Formats: sequence, structure tokens, C-alpha cells
Amino acid sequence: MSVFDPIRFRSLEVKNRVFRSSLAGRFNNYDGTGTQIHVNWDLKFARGGVGAIISSNAPVHPRGLIVPNYAHIDADETVPFWRELVRRVHEHDCRYIVQLAFSGRQRDLGGIQFEQGWSSTDKPEPIHGLRCERMSLTDIREVVNAFAQGARRAREAGADGIEIHGCNGYLITQFLSPAINDRKDDYGGSLENRARFALDIVDAIRAEVGRDYHLQFKITAIDYGRDLFPWLGKGTELDESTQVCKWLEQAGVDAIHVSLGNTFPHPRNPAGGFPVEDVVRGYDTMISSGTHTFRNYLIFRLWPLNRLFKRVWEKPARKAGIEGIGLGAARAVKEAVSVPVLVTGGFQTRSVVEAAIERGECDAVTIGRPLIANPNLVELWRQGHDAPPNPCTYSNKCLINQLENPLGCYEESRFDSHEEMVREILSVYDPPAYS
Amino acid sequence: MDHAAIFQPLRLGPTLTVKNRILRSSTGGRWDNYDGSGTPTRISWDLKTARGGVGAIISSHAPVQARGRLLPGYATIDHDDRVPFWRELVRRVHEHDCKYVIQLAHAGRERIIGGFEFAKGLSSTDKPEPMNGFQCERMTGPQIREVIAAFAVGARREQEAGADGVELAGANGVLFTQFLSSAINDRKDEYGGSLENRARFSLDVVRAVRAEVGRDFFVGFKISLREHLREILPWLRDGNSLDESIQVCQWLEEAGVDAIHVSAGGEFPHPRNPAGEFPARDVVRTYDGLISNGLYTFRNFLIFRTWPLSALWKWHWEKPAHDGREGINLADARALKGAVSIPVLCTGGFQTASVIAGAIERGDLDAVTIARPLIANPDLVRWFERGHDQAPRPCTYCNKCLFAFVENPLGCYDERRYETREDMIREILSVYQSAA
Repeated sequence: MSVFDPIRFRSLEVKNRVFRSSLAGRFNNYDGTGTQIHVNWDLKFARGGVGAIISSNAPVHPRGLIVPNYAHIDADETVPFWRELVRRVHEHDCRYIVQLAFSGRQRDLGGIQFEQGWSSTDKPEPIHGLRCERMSLTDIREVVNAFAQGARRAREAGADGIEIHGCNGYLITQFLSPAINDRKDDYGGSLENRARFALDIVDAIRAEVGRDYHLQFKITAIDYGRDLFPWLGKGTELDESTQVCKWLEQAGVDAIHVSLGNTFPHPRNPAGGFPVEDVVRGYDTMISSGTHTFRNYLIFRLWPLNRLFKRVWEKPARKAGIEGIGLGAARAVKEAVSVPVLVTGGFQTRSVVEAAIERGECDAVTIGRPLIANPNLVELWRQGHDAPPNPCTYSNKCLINQLENPLGCYEESRFDSHEEMVREILSVYDPPAYS
Repeated sequence: MDHAAIFQPLRLGPTLTVKNRILRSSTGGRWDNYDGSGTPTRISWDLKTARGGVGAIISSHAPVQARGRLLPGYATIDHDDRVPFWRELVRRVHEHDCKYVIQLAHAGRERIIGGFEFAKGLSSTDKPEPMNGFQCERMTGPQIREVIAAFAVGARREQEAGADGVELAGANGVLFTQFLSSAINDRKDEYGGSLENRARFSLDVVRAVRAEVGRDFFVGFKISLREHLREILPWLRDGNSLDESIQVCQWLEEAGVDAIHVSAGGEFPHPRNPAGEFPARDVVRTYDGLISNGLYTFRNFLIFRTWPLSALWKWHWEKPAHDGREGINLADARALKGAVSIPVLCTGGFQTASVIAGAIERGDLDAVTIARPLIANPDLVRWFERGHDQAPRPCTYCNKCLFAFVENPLGCYDERRYETREDMIREILSVYQSAA
């Protein structure tokens, strides 16, 4: 077994077992129109040898953004941008999968267009206190249709497939999770009802793009709703999520992508450090977003509260281990379904990935942070490194910086100098739109 | 046509003629990339006002050094690779019979959002900026020479890009002000102390720019004739007097400046620039992003969000401009006009044709520059051409635009000016419709 073995899905073949997981900075315009910079960003990974790229979260509806400045797929006018992006990525023998997303209540910076997000519930998101409106049945139909239209646009743009962003506390999790969904109608209560929204989306997409277009679903296999605040509900556990995966497979999903946690960020995704100083610098801009943000900001700023918070945040990953933290859950999903299973969670060691595939815990891995640190990770593996010489430290500084600064590796210890780090981060702007 | 004075062409320097007396003052949102490379959005933004009939556009501030950025997201002119963007922008604006003057800037310590590249700004002093506590390093002789050279090279690049001239951003508390100001500059060397010494940096830059671009290229200088720093915080020193600034302008004229652009306030923003309201609620929503940038920003944030402190601050902020928002700098411009022979441009809330024409006819100034009223009505000049004294929905000076732009797209956020909130959003986001 080698990470360089191709993987075959029902309607798609990928040259190796490494996918870039969904990630991107705020590289686009505020209104969701795409830019040259986003293309530059994705090309870094295409050149670095990954088999496929899963796009940054692409909102299917203007109300579904997580933060402004991500490329949307919410109107037909967005298609030319995606087409150009896909074309450029294909030049590197790399597949491109568009991640269709809807934030729900989890809008870190909601933007000027909509005062509140939509959700299954009207209760605010618990970490930041991001407020929301409970969706009516009409709203639900509008969003289901928006996913289908997004899928059609991705196909028109020449993308090799789509991924439904069903995890990490965004809208679909808000329906799936018993810790969040408090509806009394057909979309809440029993597992079947909570899964209805996700399955409606899959059906609508299939009706729009047909059976032969690659469609994968990213799911939170375990909510771990109490990792951060023990007074919250536990949320979805494996027995429920594997059942949902079976239904998804029956509905025509071609692969399951396993993640963890019913919020984003979550102590298990991305598992790793809580870089207090960077958080204080980067979180301020969110203060006006929620009802608990000012409280949080004070906690992050004040010793010893910030140390205590850091300990609570880092504990689950310290106990579970960071690289491959999702493998246990992936194995359970793999046992439940017959479609391929992808899993994310800190992968950067070739032998770890190959062993996981050999043991049958997953079929391929998706990688976020370690590819930010080493976009050429696959190339390094090919050259014979088991782990990159200058690995990702899981400090999570990339995550925290992306609200205010360009996404990139902000772990200065990985660079010879501050200037070298700055140069590397800003390299995404090269080439510029005008030259 | 009514108010004919507005539509008389104006000669600015040896080679530049502007078709009327309305210039767009430096305004722009964070349309560009973090690293300072330009985008189609900035072109789209500038084309709105070019189409609207202004005689010339003064660009958004273009930093001549990455460290001299006020905040990320503005097109810079800090290296040669930036020229193609500016060339395209100038070309597109020229298609509308509109001139384009590029404002060369260096923030000094006035870095609203400093970014991750440089922990501190440069300044004449090492004392932090007093309102927000932006920290800085006192410039050494070599650093001063480096910045002077950066201005000169920046001007040469803009000449190559086909711009019709450059304006040096000397007003509103940025690096030039930090040298000129008696309240800020605490140097003991030849760049501090006497007025002559404090003006040396500005004059050095003008001479270096002239040496690089020759005598025929328009070079303007924007200056705050009075700093009024006590209007921000009463325990500060007030800064340069009108007489001192007029003396500086005379020296600038001797050194080869082609026009003076009058503003007010030794800080940005300042109660007199842009003069108007302090929209407390909007400030709370966007000022949060500045908290990590300065020593006093968290204190300020608490003031802005806590009643009655917020109401008190609002009252304090709005007091100086109560005696009039449109033409707030007219008296200062008139005083300067009597003391120099080059054209005088003046900013400050202009949006009424009779007010503008009257000021030109009285000889208070030669042309006006406009920011906020053109955000509200990019086609303001078209209304004047049709004989209107004002646009039907004038700018309210609510200053919501000013406080929105740090986090959100620049535009008019005064909902009262629109039929619906959706109209407002549509209008604001229209800037992203490609300039192509």
C-alpha cells in the first residue's frame, strides 16, 4: 500500500491518497466574487502534488457565508471564476472538488447583508453567542435548492465533483446534532428527522446534476459537544452518525469525509495549540459579532483566565494525539458504509497515512494545516521523507490569523527570520492581477 | 449654466489643466490586496466618480513603503511591479476625460491597522500616537533619507504609469504632519525644533521628487493648516498655528510645489475632518478590530460602547464642527490664498454649487476637493451641470462611511438616504461589478 496508489470513486479517479482539505484565507472580494489570489493559493497545493483539492467553503447563498471574502457559488455569474480556477488546477494533474457550504448561525463575521444567520434553532451559537433565526419550511426549501444550484454551477464550471459541508457546526450540523436542533417539526426530534435536511440536499443535488457526478459528504462523526463547555449537550455520537452515513450512501453519496466537533474551531478540529497571544490579536475583530465575544475577549486577554482556557482547549487533543485524531471515528464509518472514506486530522507522516489505509481505517486522507506549512508535502514524501523536515507544529496560528491577515504559516519558529515568514505568507499575492 | 465658476478650467502647474473646479479628494476602501497589489475593484471605485463628471481624481493614499501603510488593502507604489496596475487605472479614468493625480503617502505612526509585517511604525518621535496609542520608532538619519528616496521613486513610478501628477499626503497626522507639527515632533536634530527644521523633511521630499520627475509634472502638497489637537484630547498641545502653516506653504511654493490642498486636523479622523457626526453604534461595530493595534484602543472601545461615556464622547467630538460642516476650512483657505501665488484646493464637506461657486468667485480658493458627498452622490457634478444646487439626496455627514470602511466595503451607510436597506446593500456592493 502506498499513498501514491490511485483511488477510484464511482465517478472519479484521483491519482493518490492525499486531498487538500477545505481551507483558504479571505482572498476574495467582500461580495463573494473570486480573485486571482484565490487561484494563486490553490495552485500552491496543486503544484505540490496532492491528488485533489477540496475548495474553500463556497457559500451557496449570500446568507450562508462564514466570513466575507470567500468565493461564493451563489449565482450563475460566479461560474466563470470557478471555471478558470478549475482549469488552472487541472494543468497540474490535480482534481478539483468544490465544497458547497452554508454557515447557518456560525457566522464569525456576518457581514453587512444579513443581521442574523439562519439555523435549525433560534438559540445563539454557544461559544461566541452568534445569533440566528429559526428557519421556516420555506427557508429550508430555499437552502436545499441553493445547494442543488451550487452543485449545478460547480459541474458547469468543470469541477470534478462536489463536497457537501455537513460538519463542524455549520448549518447541516445544526440540523443533525441533537445538542443544537430543537425543532418540533419534520426536521427535528428523531435522528431520521434531523437527517432529513441533509438527505433532502443530497436528493436535490442528484436531481439537478444526475447520478454520475462525484458527490461526497463531510460529516462530524462525533460532536464532542462538552469538550469546551461541560454544561452543553454531548451531541451526535458514532452510532447515530454512522446511521446517517448509511442513509447518505443509500441516497447516492459517493464518499464520506470524516471530521470531528460540532463547532468550528473545536478542540479536536483543528486539534492542537491555543496560541493565546495570536488569539488576542486576531479575535478583537469578532467582538461585535456575538453576545459572548466580549466576555471571551476578556478571558483571552486576562491572566490566569487565558491560561486556564488554553488548558481546557488543548486537553482533548493532548490526550487523543493530534495526527490521526479522526482515525477511530473513520474506522467506525468505514465499517458502516461501502463507499470510500476520507478523514482529516493533522496528517503529515507518510507511514502514519499508509498504515491507516492498510488497517482499513480510511481510504485517503485530507490535509489542512500541514499543507499550509508544507504545500509540497506530497513531493517531500516522494523524495523519501517520511515526515517533512520542517513539519507543521499544530500551533494553530494560521487559523487565528486568517480573520485579519493573509492565511499562511505564522509559526515563526519554522522560519529563519520574521522577514522570511512575511515573504512566504505574502507569496500568495504573486503573480498580481496586473503585471 | 448656473454657477459658471465651477465649470471654468483650472491650470495646475505647467502642464496640467483640469476641466472644472471639482476634484475628488483621496477616498478609497480596502479594495486591494493585503500586500498592496491593486485589484479591479479599485478601478471600479474610481470610475464611479470619473463617470460622475469630476475634473480630477486624487487617488486613495498610495504608500511609498510597506511600512508606511495606514492599513492593509490599499494599492501601494512601493516597488516597480506596482506600475502596471496604476497604468491601467489611469488609462481607464482618462477615458472619462478626467485627470488622475496619485497621492503619495507614508503613515508614519498613524497605522490604523499595522499588519503583521512591522510591529511599529516610523515617526519623527518615539512617542505613541495619542488617541489610539499606535507605537512607533524614532527615525534615524538613514531612515529619513530612505523615506525621502522612496517618495522620489514613487513619484517617478507614477509618472511612468501615466498619472497627471502626484500629491504629497502632508495633512491629517501622517508622517509629514508628524515632522511639521510642533505638538508631535520632539527631535533635537536638524529635523526638529524650529519651524524651519520641522519643515525640512517635507521640503527635502519636494526637492527629491522634483529632481526625479522634472519641473513639468504636477506636484501638489496637502496640509492641515491647523492641527487643533486639543479638540481631540484637551491635555495635548494644540500643534501648528495658521501662521506657521502658511509660512510652510510659502517655502513649499519656493521648493517647487504646484498647488496646496487645505485640510485640517493633526490626526485622522479629527472632529474637523471629516467634520460631522460620531456614529457611536457604528463605531462600536468596527472599532473592535483595532483593539490589538494600540495602547489606548481598548480604553477607547470601552468608552465607545459604554453609556454615558459614549454620549459624552459623541458630544465632545461633534462640538467643533457644529458651526458648519460644509466649507469648514474656507477661512483658512482664504488666509492661505492671500499668501501664496499657486492654486489653493480645499476640502471639507462641499456639496452645494452656490457655496462652491461663491468661494471661487470670492477668491477663497481655486477648486474644491470632495470625499463624503461623492461617496453619497458620485454623480454630484452632473446634478450641478443640470442646474441643481445640491443633489436630491445630499450627504448627511453622518460619517458612517468612515467608520464602516475598516471592516466593510466603503460606501454610503446612511440608510435614510435609500428606499430600503436592500437598496443600500446593492449600491454598496455595486463596486464589485467588474471594471472590465
